[in-house]
Amino acid sequence: MPVPEHLEFFIDPNRCIGCQACVQACAECDTHRGYSMIQLDYIARSESPQTVPIVCMHCESPTCAEVCPADAVKRTEDGVVQSARKPRCIACNNCVLACPFGVPKMETPMELMMKCDMCYDRTSVGKKPMCASVCPSQALFYGARDQIERQRPRSRPIHRFLFGRQIIVTKVHLMVPFESPVAPMDVIAAFRETVIGHVFGPNFSAETMVGGGK
Amino acid sequence: MAALPAKVEAIIEKFGPHPARPSALRLDPGVEPDKVVRTHCCFCGQQCGIQLLVHGNQLIGFEPWMEFPFNQGKLCPKGVKRYLQGSHPDRLLHALERDPSSSHGFRAVQYDHAVSRTAGEIKRIQSQYGPDALAVISGASLTTEKTYLMGKFARLCLKTPYIDYNGRLCMVSAAAGNKKAFGIDRAANPWADILKAQVVWISGANVAECAPITTDYVWQARENGARIIVVDPRVTPIARTCDLFLPIKPGRDVALFNGILHIMIEKGWIARDFVETYTVGFDSVAQYVRSWNPKYTSEVTGISEGAIRQAAELWGTTTTSFLLHARGIEHHSHGVQNVLGAINIVLASGRIGREGCGYATITGQGNGQGGREHGQKCDQLPGARDISDPEHRAHIAAVWGTGPGELQGPGVDVYEIFRKISLGEIKGLLSISFNPLVSLPDNNFVRAMLEKLEFYCAIDFFLNETAYHADIVLPGSLHEEDEGVVTTAEGRTIKINQAVTPPGDARQDWLIIQDIAGALGRERGFTFASPREIFEELRKASRGGVADYSGLTYEKIEENFGVFWPCPDEDHPGTPRLFEPGSWNPIARGAGPFYFPDGKARFCVASYSPPAESTDGEFPFILTTGRVVSHYLTGAQTRRIGPLADHTPEPFLEIHPHPARELGVSDGDRVMIESRRGQMVLSARVAETIRPDTVFIPYHWPWEKSVNQLTISAQDPISRIPEYKVCAVRIRRYAGS
Amino acid sequence: MMPGKPEVRRALFWGVLFTAILAGLIVVGSRNLSHFDAALVGYTFAVLFALFGIVYRYAIWLQRPPTAMYWKQGWQAFLAPRHLISNLAHWVGRCVTDIALNRFIWIRGRLRWLAHWTIMWGCALAVGITFPLVFGWLHFESVPGDFDSYRISLFGFPTADFSVHSLFGFLLFHGLVWSAVFVIVGVMIAMRRRMRDEGAAAVQIFAEDFLPLVLLFAVSLTGLLLTSSYTWMKGYGYDFLAILHAVTVIFTLLWLPFGKFFHIFQRPAQLGVTFYKDLGRRGESATCRRCAKPFSSRMHVEDLIRVEKELGYSFEAEDPIGHYQWVCPPCRRALFALAQGRMWHGPGSQRAPGIPAQGSSHVNPGLGEGPLGEEDRENFHP
Repeated sequence: MPVPEHLEFFIDPNRCIGCQACVQACAECDTHRGYSMIQLDYIARSESPQTVPIVCMHCESPTCAEVCPADAVKRTEDGVVQSARKPRCIACNNCVLACPFGVPKMETPMELMMKCDMCYDRTSVGKKPMCASVCPSQALFYGARDQIERQRPRSRPIHRFLFGRQIIVTKVHLMVPFESPVAPMDVIAAFRETVIGHVFGPNFSAETMVGGGK
Repeated sequence: MAALPAKVEAIIEKFGPHPARPSALRLDPGVEPDKVVRTHCCFCGQQCGIQLLVHGNQLIGFEPWMEFPFNQGKLCPKGVKRYLQGSHPDRLLHALERDPSSSHGFRAVQYDHAVSRTAGEIKRIQSQYGPDALAVISGASLTTEKTYLMGKFARLCLKTPYIDYNGRLCMVSAAAGNKKAFGIDRAANPWADILKAQVVWISGANVAECAPITTDYVWQARENGARIIVVDPRVTPIARTCDLFLPIKPGRDVALFNGILHIMIEKGWIARDFVETYTVGFDSVAQYVRSWNPKYTSEVTGISEGAIRQAAELWGTTTTSFLLHARGIEHHSHGVQNVLGAINIVLASGRIGREGCGYATITGQGNGQGGREHGQKCDQLPGARDISDPEHRAHIAAVWGTGPGELQGPGVDVYEIFRKISLGEIKGLLSISFNPLVSLPDNNFVRAMLEKLEFYCAIDFFLNETAYHADIVLPGSLHEEDEGVVTTAEGRTIKINQAVTPPGDARQDWLIIQDIAGALGRERGFTFASPREIFEELRKASRGGVADYSGLTYEKIEENFGVFWPCPDEDHPGTPRLFEPGSWNPIARGAGPFYFPDGKARFCVASYSPPAESTDGEFPFILTTGRVVSHYLTGAQTRRIGPLADHTPEPFLEIHPHPARELGVSDGDRVMIESRRGQMVLSARVAETIRPDTVFIPYHWPWEKSVNQLTISAQDPISRIPEYKVCAVRIRRYAGS
Repeated sequence: MMPGKPEVRRALFWGVLFTAILAGLIVVGSRNLSHFDAALVGYTFAVLFALFGIVYRYAIWLQRPPTAMYWKQGWQAFLAPRHLISNLAHWVGRCVTDIALNRFIWIRGRLRWLAHWTIMWGCALAVGITFPLVFGWLHFESVPGDFDSYRISLFGFPTADFSVHSLFGFLLFHGLVWSAVFVIVGVMIAMRRRMRDEGAAAVQIFAEDFLPLVLLFAVSLTGLLLTSSYTWMKGYGYDFLAILHAVTVIFTLLWLPFGKFFHIFQRPAQLGVTFYKDLGRRGESATCRRCAKPFSSRMHVEDLIRVEKELGYSFEAEDPIGHYQWVCPPCRRALFALAQGRMWHGPGSQRAPGIPAQGSSHVNPGLGEGPLGEEDRENFHP
């Protein structure tokens, strides 16, 4: 069965607390039981607790599938880019290196690329994917668009991203400020950023803080 | 009893922790569950709803329970992997008896033998030294039925005043503060009120790691327009993007609250009508905070004056708000003062007892709330009754079929129990689901006291580190092996359902307690046939008390996805929000919404005193301790769950790059940390996420990895909570291996 | 009239060429069809058609930019004179572990491996026996003067004699029975998995995943029935069974170029990939333009940039990035979150030009729930 059209995936890394519920739950899904497909990274652990969770963005024209020499990556009609077809994948790593979002994983001993398939066993029967079901911060949200629009009046979903000169359109949405310009998000614009948010950085005065109790 | 019966390594080899990982049935996507059991996660006070998948009396996985209103399917990593504690290789399947001749220190014995030996030792100790020579220490992760039974067992069967519980290490400062100010110890509001607040103030709560599901409530409030204020010495994940971050010096929270109140008074941001109508004591508090001008507050708290003024303005001028706090302000030798300071700014704002206007502590333990209401706290009887109040004693004595004179008076807190072992007053100990060797501060002292006991019986499902010292270990039950009720951080009483039966000789904890009572020949009052029967008696015992459960039934709880107490009769819908104007309670009897005879809340002077141990030239850093997201309490369960153990396999020292550079320490280096009580070696995590004068170590590990070797046993004089959040340490690079 | 597109023309050419060569070999190998069994002509034409289809599809496939890149680079890597000897040794080793033993499937699951391995060897055995017989390349003649012996004739050249009653004879004449048993065992295991595994159920497609199993089962079963018919039932229903068997076999042959069976021809490319990776490892690493850490091989990144250009992508970016392919996968994930965080909170902490970013790290250092394998770690988490 196809994934219902009115249910969509929205991510908001801004909310992520790095708790790893998604990583742990991902391995409980039936299509990849025992293997976690979601990517969850500290961006710079020594500077900030900032984390980024990324599921497959399910591109409309998936780079991973285009660069696959073995035709192993297929997008089903409901827009889900499936994990590599096992008989075909020759473990060449093209998809892993080409994905602009850094999503696919390579399991070398099994000679197989594996990636998020949006928990196809669950979403194709109308359930939420594992990660979005459990996500405590709802950085990963799965549901109807009118629901998220109602719940998050400050935010607006986008699904167009700019990498250099290339625009990539995805099935999965990213939440950005409601007032932000209606244009693809320029990913490279953050090239100089190290982390976002509060830190006890160089400007934090140590002198006023160190010392005995009052 | 003396030292350990075998080398620690030998005991670990036999009894674990061995990290369990999914295998066999649990990895086979073709296995259909025989049944799906709706119950709750066992790993914190939020008690998220979860569905456990059972196949052949084994937990094989979970399925999110989308309908349960609190978490709507959401779970943290502990909840996701909680099923792996079932069918665990370390599970105790037999009773154990200490046996130093065995290679791993214990021999398996018949259950009946273990029970009769325990009863025999209890009799011997009590007849030789008197009934007070025996103490009971209990857990706040047990179901409320069990905690009720533990209190009854100590007081009616053992006739000892000495029972206390590990909630003493958790929420007691909040409990004491709430009782002083509101007359009742419960979250004032359901979490749903967070969503309607325009300002959410979070003090000393690492919400992202210790109460992860609450995160969505906070972010959702922000979507609805709320500003988020976080007060913490560390940039926790939730602090990273909050609107105002107040990087407080540990142990100075009450100073901040007093400083805020000072500005509120100065600017006229006080809800005069509310204060007038619903509170007493404002004037003396206003008098006290006069000296807490922003400059002085800034000096004490280490927060800039500007930030303090900004926080006061946000808090003072909003229309709806929710203040949350947790162990960060409670684990102090003046924890109750910190809590009172927080309550004072809530009362002064008048924003309580209404929709979107709330206040709560985020209870940490599984049944932290329910576990402290029904009689296993040293000074309380069921229904949150006072053990010193003759009327309260009479009510409980009648339910128990005894005379009030037969009941002992108040006991002492759990740390004091260990001090009484030191004084030779207590000779025998019975523990259940409590691991004090890891969880109590200054645990080198605790170890010496365990070695001093004449007899120690531990009831648990895994052999926790304290139980290494036991003479008898009785195999108890896991969360999923029994049913009963639990009350969540919100004050919502929910139902735990049994998914599997206990394996081997293991049995439900309440049966074990009843078996001991039987072996003592004092089975009267301990012949319950099911948790439901215990619950029925608990309902009677709580009737008319503050924590009134008399209107609750198992069916009503399940039908309503939990019911908020007080619920004084079966038609009563429960009380999600306390202190609503016009509400009735058994103390005020209509005089007002608060739980005092005049119905008014109390402003209490929240006086500042520094932590018990100051930093100095010799010990220049403040050590603060806490949790990580992948572990629960002493880790007796979560260190046995492979995927969680992988996430955080070891404790670490979080330290700011400035001091690290001065100490010549780089990320990942081994460092020696010493306090006046102990020392340990850990890897450093150098990060700009903590104040430069403070270091942090999580507390879930035993032996040489236990931070409680370093912590101080200073306690709050009112709540008796230990000061886990501040002690003085020194640090150096460690060259050894 | 040739169809328009050049790649189609090339593919047609290769298809026709291979088919013609096989046809020629059949004629020559059967000594001008003198050993050719006319009853098997249906099989022959099915094989010829299948060969045409397979070569055509293979040729089309090889002309896709990424495949062409691997085809060319893989052979170059393999034939590089400096490494040819060790490559040959590796090739033999990998043929054994990957192709003969299916080690990579063993790692995925023991039952899965058993299913694939029995099906694979069952089919290989059956093809090895039947194709030469059908093409008339192999036939048996009675040895003059010895009624109990047969002589094997290969491409018309007589070779060894053997006794009908010998063990060799027994094994040889029942070879198809063994292959059928192998295939049926494998099909049963595979079917069981497809029926009960909910994960597999969600993504499987009838034509892709079930039909091949059904066909193999039908071929094996009808083959066994034929044997049973002439061995124990005095040829009961033999003609009908022979036609039924032929239908199943011919349909399977015709299906070879289309469905899952095509992986039989495609999959050995994994050997070429390993030589390409070996070459990459011996060469220079790519260096991430954000965190300055090595990831993958420089050759692979450059080849991919070329392939992406051919495919019409334009991931070219301002310096110092140059092309987005020069940003390592973990930094791509970091940039994605930083770009979004920046929209919410304004610019964050900045690094000076020339100072590399710290580089991200997996939240769970445990391999079980984090990156998958060693190569994944090298690719992602240097």
